[in-house]
Amino acid sequence: MNILLCCAAGMSTSLLVTKMEAAAKLEGIEAKIWAVSANEVKNHLDDADVLLVGPQVRYLLPQLKKTGEEKGIPVDAINPVHYGMCNGAEVLKFAKNLIGS
Amino acid sequence: MAKFTQMLEEKVMPVAGKIAGQKHLQALRDGLILTMPLIIVGSIFLILGFIPIDSYPQFMADTFGADWLTKLLYPVNATFDIMALIAGFGIAYRLAEHYKVDPLNAGAVSVAAFILSTPYFTLFTPEGADAAIQVGGVLPMAFLGSKGLFVAIIIALFSTEIYRWVIQKNIVIKMPDGVPPSVSKSFVALFPAFLVILVVWVIRLLIEKTSFETLHNVVGKLLQEPLGALGGTLVGGLIAVLLIQLLWSTGLHGASIVGGVMGPIWLAATDANRLALQAGKEMPEVITQQFIDIFIYMGGSGATFAFAIMMLLFARSQHAKQLGRLSIGPGIFNINEPITFGAPVVMNPLLLMPFILAPLALVVTTYIGMTTGFAPKTSGIAIPWTTPPIIGGYLATGGNWRGAAMQLINLAVSFAIYYPFFKMWDKQNYETEKSAAN
Repeated sequence: MNILLCCAAGMSTSLLVTKMEAAAKLEGIEAKIWAVSANEVKNHLDDADVLLVGPQVRYLLPQLKKTGEEKGIPVDAINPVHYGMCNGAEVLKFAKNLIGS
Repeated sequence: MAKFTQMLEEKVMPVAGKIAGQKHLQALRDGLILTMPLIIVGSIFLILGFIPIDSYPQFMADTFGADWLTKLLYPVNATFDIMALIAGFGIAYRLAEHYKVDPLNAGAVSVAAFILSTPYFTLFTPEGADAAIQVGGVLPMAFLGSKGLFVAIIIALFSTEIYRWVIQKNIVIKMPDGVPPSVSKSFVALFPAFLVILVVWVIRLLIEKTSFETLHNVVGKLLQEPLGALGGTLVGGLIAVLLIQLLWSTGLHGASIVGGVMGPIWLAATDANRLALQAGKEMPEVITQQFIDIFIYMGGSGATFAFAIMMLLFARSQHAKQLGRLSIGPGIFNINEPITFGAPVVMNPLLLMPFILAPLALVVTTYIGMTTGFAPKTSGIAIPWTTPPIIGGYLATGGNWRGAAMQLINLAVSFAIYYPFFKMWDKQNYETEKSAAN
């Protein structure tokens, strides 16, 4: 499972990446999770199964959803509270549901 | 207060979304970023050139020769002084990406168009002469740097618009039968670049007929100078910071959105101070990129470093204790999404008060500090916005302890503003937790 995260500079989402990796390990899920800045997303999208967008850049969501649709990759914004508390397990679940749907 | 947050969500949010998603502003923001790594590297050499120790210049001259400073500043000139060239390429590249036309070509064409709008001579006053003489065969470095930044931005957007328009029009040249199709294609491929150069060339010829003489003078007098003057005032700084905070209040990345507009102005102000530093003159600008990044947004947008410390040291509720441990690490590097979304501050009237008030207060204190001479102005040294507080203030002012002292004062001011709200918020959490436990 390849999960791509993005925010303005890819910095605060990288916080979440480490928590999600820990959650994935705990659940025994093989996952590649990484964070990039919004303008790098295009270069990474081909490697991803799902794109999660930080709530602070959710204004980019329509644009990114369109790009995702063309490639058949689900795109959605991360729940702000889960994002703030760096709740790796919940965001991982969210990613799994998006891929599954 | 509930009405206020509702207003933010319904009125501010959609407008902010539109502005932030606007492709020219987005290209401007993303393209300008291309200059940052270069400028930060150049700043390392700049810091070494102006370490504020009295015996330092003498020591360096004794060790490396009398022209040590000139040589040390070579990399500074190669990074700061071409920021317009680099920014123009970056902006054209990012805009072309949006239009799905070849970004590399669009970037190259934009660089050519920028040079085309720049004079190929400079004025030079030889020693002992009364009047300046015109020296040909050169590009004035000043125009490739911050002085040409706005021209580069305008040319990048303009040339890329022409470029993609021609391509999307799908112009075809009819060749007689027998001409291989790839030959006609290779002619067509030249057409977008040709039209850009043609249009900019005509513009240059027309402007040369006026008293402005160059596009740089037109843009400088009509756009860059007035905007710079507005952005450099206390009121200008307060308005920009207020907008950033209002956007963050709805959970949108305010600095990134407002930065699209203010970025070039603050960057040009940074460089004005850098040039003054190198020339040994009084620094002209108070409000620069570093003023905002380093002195106002300590701990992240909202000046939340003080709030993170409070949670860590004085929290009673489990929620605040946990958030304090989670947010202090990123907070040291001026990243505060755990606080804005985790506390949460976003859409939370109680915490929005200090979140908006504290940065505005810090603009005032820092502005007063720097204009009265208590604290030095930022000296054009571009350090990353992730530089921790105290170290940041020290470095951004060219290694001056008063810069760090200004940050300590700002920390105290933001602490005083956040504290009462923190106490109320923590108490609410504590009582909710207690009643949940019962």
